[in-house]
Amino acid sequence: MATGPLRFRTPHIEELPITQSRQAPGFAWVAVAAPPEDPSKNWGTSNRKRARAAATGQTDSQKEALSARQQRETERKIRELNSDNSKDVQIPIPKKEAGGGGGARAGKTTNTKKILASGKTFAHYLDDEEAEIARTGRRDGEAEVVPAAVQQQRASKTPLARRRPREESSMSGSPAPFKPASSYAPPSDAMDIDPGEDDDVVASMPSQANIEALLNMPPLTYNQARSAPPPTNAPPPRKFCEVCGYFGRVKCMKCGAMTCSVMCKDTHDDQRCQKFYA
Amino acid sequence: MASKQSLTQPPASGNTLAPRTLIVDNGAHTIKAGFSSATTETNQEPNLDDCQIIANCLARSTRDKRTYVGPELLDECWDFGELAFRRPVERGFVVNWEGEKAIWERSFVDGRAKLKCDPHETNLVLTESPNAPAALQRNAGEMVFEEFEFASYYRTMAPAFNAYAPSPFPSTATSASGVPIECLLVVDVGHSHTTVTPLYQGRPFHSSCRRLEIGGKTLTNRLKEVLTRTVEVQKEDWIVQEIKEDVCFISQDFNSDIERVWKGGLKDPREIDTSIVVDYVLPDYEAVKRGFFREHDPKISRKARALGLDGPREHIVTIGNERFTVSELLFTPSDIGMQQEGLPATILQSIYSLPQGLWQPFLANILVVGGSSKFAGFMGRLESELRSRVSEDYIVRVAQAQDPVKNVWLGGARLAQNEDVLKERVVTRQEYLEHGDLWTRRRFAGKIAR
Ligand SMILES: [Zn+2]
Ligand SMILES: [Zn+2]
Repeated sequence: MATGPLRFRTPHIEELPITQSRQAPGFAWVAVAAPPEDPSKNWGTSNRKRARAAATGQTDSQKEALSARQQRETERKIRELNSDNSKDVQIPIPKKEAGGGGGARAGKTTNTKKILASGKTFAHYLDDEEAEIARTGRRDGEAEVVPAAVQQQRASKTPLARRRPREESSMSGSPAPFKPASSYAPPSDAMDIDPGEDDDVVASMPSQANIEALLNMPPLTYNQARSAPPPTNAPPPRKFCEVCGYFGRVKCMKCGAMTCSVMCKDTHDDQRCQKFYA
Repeated sequence: MASKQSLTQPPASGNTLAPRTLIVDNGAHTIKAGFSSATTETNQEPNLDDCQIIANCLARSTRDKRTYVGPELLDECWDFGELAFRRPVERGFVVNWEGEKAIWERSFVDGRAKLKCDPHETNLVLTESPNAPAALQRNAGEMVFEEFEFASYYRTMAPAFNAYAPSPFPSTATSASGVPIECLLVVDVGHSHTTVTPLYQGRPFHSSCRRLEIGGKTLTNRLKEVLTRTVEVQKEDWIVQEIKEDVCFISQDFNSDIERVWKGGLKDPREIDTSIVVDYVLPDYEAVKRGFFREHDPKISRKARALGLDGPREHIVTIGNERFTVSELLFTPSDIGMQQEGLPATILQSIYSLPQGLWQPFLANILVVGGSSKFAGFMGRLESELRSRVSEDYIVRVAQAQDPVKNVWLGGARLAQNEDVLKERVVTRQEYLEHGDLWTRRRFAGKIAR
């Protein structure tokens, strides 16, 4: 493998869709070590999985542990990418030179003293609110019941609305189940807005009363407003070479990292492999 | 609840406004703030120049051992190397009021403040991110009235103010101040995240608000992560942010662009496309005060240049696919394993959750704001992806605000310029002290009419 062209000359090469864009379906080469009997039969995932399993000799439980570990690692990474503050740094408020009214922490009332001394993070506030909603069905003394119930009610009336159940987690991944693809892209006949042909409920503006009712719905909670995951029939996520950033073509069987070429694989093995199973 | 004893000033009475109005779009990255000219004698339109941009952070330099508070960073700091940041706004909401108070005081109260005001004589118009936890809204109200003691206060979600800014669509006439655009779908590509908010006459359809958890900071952090493959930038948040702003763009054809810059290793004979690959010269704050990029020169040795051999001494990082694979996260969050749809599909999640009769007005009135929408290629990609996902029977129209960073502020200032509208929206300090926090929040939610 160390010589010759850097495109992999492995026994079998599979073509996998790697993009979600409908216009430009791109393909990545995924090297699979097992010899294929008939490439056309080897398209499905089950064959691919079997091929991989054969290549690595990993047991099912090992693979499960690896993928669970990768999932946790991905979530940790996303949290890190979305963190607001510099890592491991404490920056105290500088002391006031003169005047300006009180110390930085003082606080003029009981309320503001408490707020200023609070060490809560956003995740704490989010957990508190979710716990309160779970307990009372309301948020912080508001009269309205939070929209979870409203949503379910509406969901049956409005199948196109892609509504999601409340989550307890503040993680970036949305484990909410996918809605069927039909709710993802509305059927084209339903989208006909030619006013001459038929101007039924489909295209006409809702009545002012309906609009007003919709405007008066309470806000979604922070978690409810999160963008839903791609539909189940979306192409699988693209993978990238962790060394150079090009499409990843080969998975490291020790740690699951992807690389694109012999060069990058060598770099990975030498310097970066986390060797979960080494 | 505030005790009446804490009252040190006569509050503004029930229905009068204080003489000045301060509009604060309190972003996670920067505060956009300034006075509306509403209650002054001059009857001018609010101007983008009236809006100051203030770093919403405490920044600590290990080099000069100084902590820069809020506006001091952009006004007084000249060496941005190894700056560490503390940001009071987390996920778009003020979480750490200890830090925010120091920044607000330095920005609006301190003798050196460009926007110095007496809060007792000032109405405060403040923005927050959509879908705020109620406890944080309560904290904001208590700080505004009990700590800063503003005369009156109006808080709303930032995207809503865009309906009061001049329309970005040439065929839509700009409405008078205080009069909102009828239908507007606001896409706010911010520092913390990207939000999608359908507005009807300036009011949000709450159940259709959506948030994609990719924002400017995600991209900066991601760029930092991928650049550490070749250069030590782990502590260089500021510099990496500048690199991002200078070189990142949104690809119109990701697969083709990534092929153009792939080099599978040292022995690969293929030539990489130098129209994409650049050499970025990092600032050293001595000879190079501000980083910059130029076309990649394969003959230049990074190591030699760093030692001052073979040309001027400079620290270079070569940037290829990172220019567009990082910003691509806005369109394909699954590239980092995030289980959320990209921006075009998130916009459609929002629109398709509305009654079908509202799809067309929102599809035809998509407004893009926020600093992270300023990448080259952003608007073209967004429009073409939306177009390809939506039936041809619909008109799709997308426009970017003239100033994507200050548009929320401008809308807020134009709203505040109309005294009647402002009076209707604000809660005075006296009302707050009488009716309390819950009442105040219900007023802002439109549940209690004046
Ligand atoms: Zn590679
Ligand atoms: Zn490995």
